[in-house]
Amino acid sequence: MTSQNVNRREFLKLTAIGVAVAAGTKAVSSKASSEAPKGKRQWAMVIDQSKCTGCEYCTRACQAHNDINPDIEWNTVTENGTVGNNQVFVPRPCMHCEKAPCVEVCPVKASYYRDDGIVMMDYDRCIGCRYCQIACPYGARTFNWEKFTGENPAVPEWGMPEVERRPRGVPEKCSFCYQRIDRGLAQGLTPGVDSEATPACVNICPTGARMFGDLNNPDSNVSLALHNNPTYSLREDLGTGPRVYYIPAVGVEES
Amino acid sequence: MKDTQRSKFAITPWMIWLGLMGIILLSGLVAGIMVFWKGLGITNLTDMVPWGLWITIDLSSIALGAGAFSMCAAVYLFGLKRYGPIARTATFIGLIGYTMATLALILDIGRPERFWHSLVYWNPHSLLWEVTMCVVLYLTVLVFESMPIFANWEWLRKHMPKVASLMSHTHHYAPILAIIGLGLSSLHQSSLGATYGVIKARPFWFKPEMAVLFMFSAIVGGIALTLFATMLASRLTRKAKINDNLIERVALFVGYLLIGYFYLRIWDVLAQTYVYYPGRTEGLQYLTKGPFAFNFWVMEIFLGMLVPMILLLYKPTRTNRFWRMIALLLVAIGVIVFRWDANITGQLVVMPYVPGLPITYTSYSPSLIELLAGAAIIAYGLTAFTLGVKYFRVVDHTLVEEEHEKVHVNSTEPVSI
Repeated sequence: MTSQNVNRREFLKLTAIGVAVAAGTKAVSSKASSEAPKGKRQWAMVIDQSKCTGCEYCTRACQAHNDINPDIEWNTVTENGTVGNNQVFVPRPCMHCEKAPCVEVCPVKASYYRDDGIVMMDYDRCIGCRYCQIACPYGARTFNWEKFTGENPAVPEWGMPEVERRPRGVPEKCSFCYQRIDRGLAQGLTPGVDSEATPACVNICPTGARMFGDLNNPDSNVSLALHNNPTYSLREDLGTGPRVYYIPAVGVEES
Repeated sequence: MKDTQRSKFAITPWMIWLGLMGIILLSGLVAGIMVFWKGLGITNLTDMVPWGLWITIDLSSIALGAGAFSMCAAVYLFGLKRYGPIARTATFIGLIGYTMATLALILDIGRPERFWHSLVYWNPHSLLWEVTMCVVLYLTVLVFESMPIFANWEWLRKHMPKVASLMSHTHHYAPILAIIGLGLSSLHQSSLGATYGVIKARPFWFKPEMAVLFMFSAIVGGIALTLFATMLASRLTRKAKINDNLIERVALFVGYLLIGYFYLRIWDVLAQTYVYYPGRTEGLQYLTKGPFAFNFWVMEIFLGMLVPMILLLYKPTRTNRFWRMIALLLVAIGVIVFRWDANITGQLVVMPYVPGLPITYTSYSPSLIELLAGAAIIAYGLTAFTLGVKYFRVVDHTLVEEEHEKVHVNSTEPVSI
């Protein structure tokens, strides 16, 4: 019987240790979930699906401002059933994941985290192995199978190009219009508030379905939207920690 | 010597062989130049299936090059010295396999002129980085391990005997090289599987068994190909001198390994059938009941494992050279088909990121350019092996023992035949 007691005590002790270790691991892993040095600002986007009409203005404005090949969409809009009588859409930019599979797998660190949470591509460093495309759960990356030459049909109707065209042989993706954010901040503007400093897709949206701002600022529109609404992210089960949040569309009878 | 003089005026099978390989290499060269010039747009690769035929060639040639580290470890670390001649052949095949893989990769990456970036800009967290580093380092090891083989080139021995002797001398370091080779190979052979195994977005791949299966199948396939190539060479030319008893013993070992490989592969599949798991179940069905069912059941399991297992474990068939060769060839083909199936199936099943949307399927079949360039990479491997047999005595089970002694006794003197 004593041996049983000992066993039981041992068992309890082990359990306690186990719990402590598990808690410790969790603390460590939540800290280590992003290799990104956390900067003062953490950019995020909130998309209100009840307002999105699927007009794809965002896609066009994105193609113009980032000078994208018309065959490629950094921001793509997918139909996703109906709520009441209304069609529901899922617009999908890059999720700028907190633990981005593309960054983790890149053999040359051509994909990397900025300290403001943006997942960036160094197009001059990329070797074009396409492992990031294999790893991205959101299909957010498109390879430049051919060089984009000639005129951009989205220009000037949807905006003017602000960045260099990517060369042939590298994958490309949404950058949260980092060029607008950086330039805007330098001018003392606030991204998400001043359109000059805000991603093109947010500015163009005719129904105001997109919000952009700093998660670290509790008064930013994204922080408030996240606080006041139920939201979800795409493929949350994968633990990628997307920085694009969706407010689900609700039917008239439900709201 | 007599042979070459006679062949001046007659078409020999050797010339036909070289001519055939030359045509394939030339058309592949044109295809390769087209790819560098026009870009990957002329392939059938898509954003859905960015890794296709060339990756399969790359994976397969690395897998089938695994005979080198396996046999070198057996000979120089586990003390199975009498298999030294087979390790020699395996080393040469390894060198060919790894250069084939390098060729395929250079062709496959979008910015081939930046291939050196992977050596300069490190992301130790990336499995592909680890694979690249290991492959580059191991290729270096293979070059050193192959030095004594190249030292057998008659022209070199005649014109630069000192160089030849120096190259032979690297044989002294074979045990150290075998240790480094074993370490590097264990790392990257498994990591190539893990390259797929860590991708959570694709549940068909996302499992720890990928690393184990890639490693195990590489050892089985690598040794099998080495033995097959050795036996084929001995049938085709008198330059290849073999000790059939050695080959038969190793072939028996391959038979036993196949039991392990079969066990792992079957459990890998069985365990996944138990519950419905989105994406994984679809992939598995694609492989076992869908368009790849023939590949899986016939090429991988039946012809790739069961048939050769019986042929190699059953003494009458194992001692029969024809059936042994058939068995070994089937093993190698089975491993190639496994690489193709694993790589492609994981990409053809497309997981939706939008909630509630169904899982869809895409398709891929290589374009003519991909086929031509791929064929040329294989032709390069075949040509290199036959040249090795003809000029470097790659398959010569009578040579090595005496050279061993010569090198040991008189390492500084020119080695002459």
